Amino acid sequence: MKNRLKQLRAERAWSQGDLAAQLGISRQSVNAIETGKYDPSLPLAFRIADLFGARIEDIFLRDVQQQEA
Amino acid sequence: MTNASRNPAYRRYTGRMIPLSLAYVGAVGLASWLIPDGAAANVATVAIALVPGLAALGWIWAMARFLVELDDEYLRMLEIRKFLIATGFALAITSVWGLLELFTNVPALPIFFVWPLWCVGLAVGQLVNWRQTGAAGCA
Repeated sequence: MKNRLKQLRAERAWSQGDLAAQLGISRQSVNAIETGKYDPSLPLAFRIADLFGARIEDIFLRDVQQQEA
Repeated sequence: MTNASRNPAYRRYTGRMIPLSLAYVGAVGLASWLIPDGAAANVATVAIALVPGLAALGWIWAMARFLVELDDEYLRMLEIRKFLIATGFALAITSVWGLLELFTNVPALPIFFVWPLWCVGLAVGQLVNWRQTGAAGCA
């Protein structure tokens, strides 16, 4: 699943480690989510959304192909 | 918590596995010293031979606790995938070898080797994780 996590993080000049520390997860997790290798659980997605003051759907983007299917 | 190896679950897992492994090696050494080769199965020899098994049960407990205590869901996914690959690896080899034993005269594979095979499977799982995600997990 594509997401805007890297962009949002860059806007705040946070490193992956900074974001990981604020979310209480590993830097590897942040990297995996940013690169679309791992989709976070709903509770973690809510924590990410709360941290950026945004809605989940503003951060995590639906796959266009999934929408068409 | 920015680095996988700094996760407290990982530290606790290592802290449990090291003494359990030392106990296992010590118990195996003691059993080898106390029980002569080809000894009959009696109460004494069975009891001594089962002592290392307690450490092996401890390993399983430590691994279960590790998965329960690992609060990082991505790392937990990697570890569970590693465990599943290891299980598949050990089952594949032992079940196929079992069929060979059943229908041919290949030498019997001692059950003792199931655990080492599973551990080799862990390494395979680590490799798969690394190739697919660039992260191997933390244990």
